[in-house]
Amino acid sequence: MSNDTNSIWKTLVDLPANVWKSIFRNPLPTSDRGRAATSFTNFFLHIQPVRVSRHALRPTYTLGLGLISFFLFVILTVTGILLMFYYVPSSTQAYDRMLDLRSSVAFGVILRNMHRWAAHAMVATVFLHMCRVFFTGAYKAPREFNWNIGVALFLLTLFASFTGYLLPWDQLAFWAITVGTSIAGYAPLVGKELRFLLLGDANVGQEALLRFYVLHVVVLPAALSLLVAVHFWRIRKDGGLARPEPVEQVLQPPQSPAAVEPLPEPVASLAVDAAPVRRFTIQGLVRGPFVKVGKLEDDTVFSWPTLLIAELFVLLLTIAGVLAVSWFFNAPLEQPVNVMHPPNPAKAPWYFLGLQEQVSYSAFWGGIGIPGIELILLLLVPYFDRGKQGVGRWFARQRILANSVFLLFVIVNIVLILIGTFFRGANWQFVSPF
Amino acid sequence: MRLALAVVSLVVLIGSGVVVYDQFHSRWEANQKAYFNQALEQARTPAERASLEGRVPKIEQTIVNGFGETRIDRCQSCHIAVDDPRFTSAKQPLRTHPYSVEMGDVFRNGRWERRHKFTDFGCTSCHDGQGRGLETADAHGEDPFWPDPMLGYTMQAGWSKDTAAHLRGKEFMQANCAQCHAEKGFAGTPLVARGRDLFFKTGCYGCHRIDGLSSGTLGPDLSQVGKERKLDYLWGHIVDPRVYTPASIMPRFKLSNEDRKALVIFLKSRRGGNLAQSSIESFRLKATAATPIPEGGAAAHAGPALTGAAHGEQLINDLACLSCHKLGERDGGISPDLSYEGLVRDHDWLIDHFRNPRSRIPDSNMPAFALPEADFEDMATYLLSRTAPPAPMSPAETFKNLCARCHGEKGDGDGINAIYLDPAPRDLTKAEFINSKPQARFLASLTLGVPGTSMPPWGKALDGERIQTLLDYVGQACVHEPRRQLKPRKVPEINPVPMSAESVGRGETIFLARCTGCHGRKADGRGPNSLDIAPRPRNLRNSAFINSTPDRRLFESVMYGVEGTAMPSWMDYGLSQSDVGDILNYIRSLNENRK
Repeated sequence: MSNDTNSIWKTLVDLPANVWKSIFRNPLPTSDRGRAATSFTNFFLHIQPVRVSRHALRPTYTLGLGLISFFLFVILTVTGILLMFYYVPSSTQAYDRMLDLRSSVAFGVILRNMHRWAAHAMVATVFLHMCRVFFTGAYKAPREFNWNIGVALFLLTLFASFTGYLLPWDQLAFWAITVGTSIAGYAPLVGKELRFLLLGDANVGQEALLRFYVLHVVVLPAALSLLVAVHFWRIRKDGGLARPEPVEQVLQPPQSPAAVEPLPEPVASLAVDAAPVRRFTIQGLVRGPFVKVGKLEDDTVFSWPTLLIAELFVLLLTIAGVLAVSWFFNAPLEQPVNVMHPPNPAKAPWYFLGLQEQVSYSAFWGGIGIPGIELILLLLVPYFDRGKQGVGRWFARQRILANSVFLLFVIVNIVLILIGTFFRGANWQFVSPF
Repeated sequence: MRLALAVVSLVVLIGSGVVVYDQFHSRWEANQKAYFNQALEQARTPAERASLEGRVPKIEQTIVNGFGETRIDRCQSCHIAVDDPRFTSAKQPLRTHPYSVEMGDVFRNGRWERRHKFTDFGCTSCHDGQGRGLETADAHGEDPFWPDPMLGYTMQAGWSKDTAAHLRGKEFMQANCAQCHAEKGFAGTPLVARGRDLFFKTGCYGCHRIDGLSSGTLGPDLSQVGKERKLDYLWGHIVDPRVYTPASIMPRFKLSNEDRKALVIFLKSRRGGNLAQSSIESFRLKATAATPIPEGGAAAHAGPALTGAAHGEQLINDLACLSCHKLGERDGGISPDLSYEGLVRDHDWLIDHFRNPRSRIPDSNMPAFALPEADFEDMATYLLSRTAPPAPMSPAETFKNLCARCHGEKGDGDGINAIYLDPAPRDLTKAEFINSKPQARFLASLTLGVPGTSMPPWGKALDGERIQTLLDYVGQACVHEPRRQLKPRKVPEINPVPMSAESVGRGETIFLARCTGCHGRKADGRGPNSLDIAPRPRNLRNSAFINSTPDRRLFESVMYGVEGTAMPSWMDYGLSQSDVGDILNYIRSLNENRK
């Protein structure tokens, strides 16, 4: 009896500690090793490597662009979900809801501003991230496929931003989408059908609004999340961020022949693991060519705390930037849709103005042909550019040809966007903004 | 690193703090606190004091279901003293809403009772604005895209200052009174009634439809213009329609600012059915045509019924003919002078013109007024009774009195009503044109008029000598170059190519290839280049004109071009005489069997 009472009592006394332990496997670690073990077992931390190269941590190397893109995506998801509570994808109600957001919904203005500006910023940072990866040669083997995932993410980002553009259902939205979708209509063979599939009608209307809404709030975010997860996973599996070959390795012969050749057996990798304090056995069990055991240079630091603090810093910086811009600048809203009065010129969203500018010269080549070729080249670039030189450094001398070509591509597109944005007036005539 | 982290964290904290503080500290709370304090000073009983001391600011809102869509009016969150009679002289937003006997409020047992209680009506059903807004700018509808800014009070940022100056005043709220008090003679809405009167007196009803009132089709349907447009647009469009719609054919009517205000208020009250109607009543109004006799017309007048010419005169005076046309002293400044109509037109012409103005002048901008045939007869009788010819005067004065209205004081084709005429009056100062045509042609135009246009046959009102002197005067005063000797041109008198289906087909092919840029694919003179050309290309479907024009003139115009216009000499572009004959047959075929 008393034993039973004791055991029940003990169970009750231990209950909080047991619950705590069941959630957090390790106590708050105090040593590097403890922190490493904790990151390994924690869902949210295990996405980080235990150790990270100092090179990857240098702010001037990555500029934090990938992280900023990801955090903007998080901000967009959060503000987007909150906005969904007020938005109605109906051509009769959507615009009224915008006016309500501006005036009578708590935090409505700041939410809408944050969502709008973060979306524009994300398009920009994703593109800049792509430029960073190219100029540092980081897309080379074994990271070819991750580059391709990145290109897909860039397209998805553009498309998500584009679908969101229609939702306010004002003049800006309506005509930008009319222009944007008619560019899709120039595609050979499937163009008209593609446009119809996108709009659900011959013109932008209620069906288009609903389709864009579903794409914007369900399909594209889901696809983006999935690909972002794969993108991150591949970063880990491809051996972290690209960095220059360590000089020592070039000078010294490998310490163990087994480390250079593909690992035949898991057991062998266990055998070559020469520094058990810093390496973890589970890595040795992984098959395949990706495991970097034995090849890791020593210039690494523990992710916890160094990487985590860097990430926190970038997160806070991103939030601060978006908050500040949203506080000082209101997201644009124009007159309600008037199908009878197109603005002149009707312009697509800014990131498609380069396309629109190209389309003004030739509908097919500007809208489909050249962008299509550019896209295929982007996807194929890591499979053509097989040299191993100049990885992990900005504008490496050995990559001057590739970098010049890409720089030209970037400059041409930016110039086209600038022309389309600032130098085109009524009837797409050239005008001076000054 | 850690310092930077601390700084950024601080920025984020401050930023979030500012956002949250801004959200939860609004002016309405301060206003309510100010009200509690002032009311406390005036409180007499301890119970009143206690209840005031216990009050904390909260959003005050009225939910109104009875008037159209559900309204949520939170105006009293700031204007919390609207029903507190002690605040009649306080400053806004804490002033008492005025009590008004006209609006049905009664003073009973020492206190006022409202006819329109805020709990029943809310605020926006009379004032407009945005009921749910809690910031001044939002609530008053200052957002340039908010469709209903407070009537007569809030001027949005995009409105021009000149316009906005006319749109202040509580009388603009009559437009909303009329949503319930829709009956025609309601005493509380005199400006709506006046605007309605003007809608008929100014002839608006001829072009515009309003369900249950009028059935014009030339201009847009105004049945719900009050819902679609704001005050500034209505005012601006009445002052000058071409500011908002550059190609508008709506005339600029001569109206006083008071009349404009009344019209704007009347139009603002047109919201496509009002709250006093059931939906089936609105549908009936929509489905039925307007009454054939417009309101305010002669038939509506009390007193002895008039007949014949007297009735016609009254119709012409009352039914807005003279808000465009000129007759005697009254002049709308938009359309031709009717003073000599009895001389220059005949009965058939007038009746055709009344039934459908475009049957005689195909590009006329005059609407067809749906009046009974008997009224048309009376109007024609009256106009035909005016047979006094123009008094004898000098040629210069004759020109000023009879010609300058369309052709302009200088004869440059820019008279006061020139922009409303299609085809436009001839520019008589253009020497290249005048001097390239024989005098006989101008004499004919002057004497016989130009069918299919507004040029009347002055030969019926002036004798031959006056016509000749007038023509001489034009030659001297308008054309500033001496007449040249005309070179004889080889032009057939009659189209040498016989009319046949093949010829018409060949003519159509040439026409589509060569002529459509200016004359349009339909040959109606509205090709893509037509807007840049003065005078405008001829409408070749103007049957009255084409059928009265001899082959010779058409032939010459195509072969040799028309000097002083954009029509080139097609002979120089390789068209042979038989080509031109085919084109002529094609043009003739378009106008066959038409008057």
